[in-house]
Amino acid sequence: MATPAQLGLQNATSPIMEELIAFHDHALMIIFLISSLVLYIISLMLTTKLTHTSTMNAQEIEMIWTILPAIILIMIALPSLRILYMTDEFNKPYLTLKAIGHQWYWSYEYSDYEDLAFDSYITPTYFLEPGEFRLLEVDNRTTLPMEADIRMLITSQDVLHSWAVPSLGVKTDAIPGRLNQAMLASMRPGLFYGQCSEICGSNHSFMPIVLEFIYFQDFEVWASYLYIV
Amino acid sequence: MASEVLAKPQMRGLLARRLRIHMVGAFLVSLGVAALYKFGVAEPRKKAYADFYKNYSPEKDFEEMKKAGIFRSIK
Repeated sequence: MATPAQLGLQNATSPIMEELIAFHDHALMIIFLISSLVLYIISLMLTTKLTHTSTMNAQEIEMIWTILPAIILIMIALPSLRILYMTDEFNKPYLTLKAIGHQWYWSYEYSDYEDLAFDSYITPTYFLEPGEFRLLEVDNRTTLPMEADIRMLITSQDVLHSWAVPSLGVKTDAIPGRLNQAMLASMRPGLFYGQCSEICGSNHSFMPIVLEFIYFQDFEVWASYLYIV
Repeated sequence: MASEVLAKPQMRGLLARRLRIHMVGAFLVSLGVAALYKFGVAEPRKKAYADFYKNYSPEKDFEEMKKAGIFRSIK
């Protein structure tokens, strides 16, 4: 989850998110390069009394400031497309989990296991235990096995929602009448938080997502005996 | 009394000269900023991730978290 006054991306838990963080660093480096160049040129223009009012031919500079931006755009596009295709790779998932958006909660269905489905409502602030996070905790957490490829099928029962977990690099729209597929994989155990990311009504900010990644043997035990507190 | 003749000052091409010098300077500054970000932020971040996972043990992490009682699905 994000810490107070955090500006940057959350620490990556999945390989895709690591790639996205590296790509964000790459794109931001290019943004700083162009912005510092423009700022320098603006300050140059503002600090001289010299003028030149009779420019007739600008062929060379036109070539430069067409080709250079084209090269920069290619330098951004190639890694971006590489990651885009990486997110669409299908890796024989260990498990399929359906996440269905409602106003204003998520419900989860583990169709690989018979009858395993539950709703996940936000824990109201006055019910929080010490150490729990305001507006981020839920009554029933989504338990998943770590170090396993998980296929998410995301949809909505009413209006548009979006299922997002920043640490895993996942944000997928939940659209009524449509199943969107996303792949999840966590390299670490632990709790990972997310929030609904598409405006869906008055309680849009109050339908969080909590993923609990545990060892797959413990996950199998949980799925068999439904250890839901 | 003979008057001294001063050298004729440079009167043309001042803006072009200024632009030539500062265009090089602008590109150097912007490439420097980019290099500063790459080697000051981006590369250390990649190294931090590599170092974290070099000796990372998910089992040990999992047992510590389990002992701390953060999981609800297992006790």
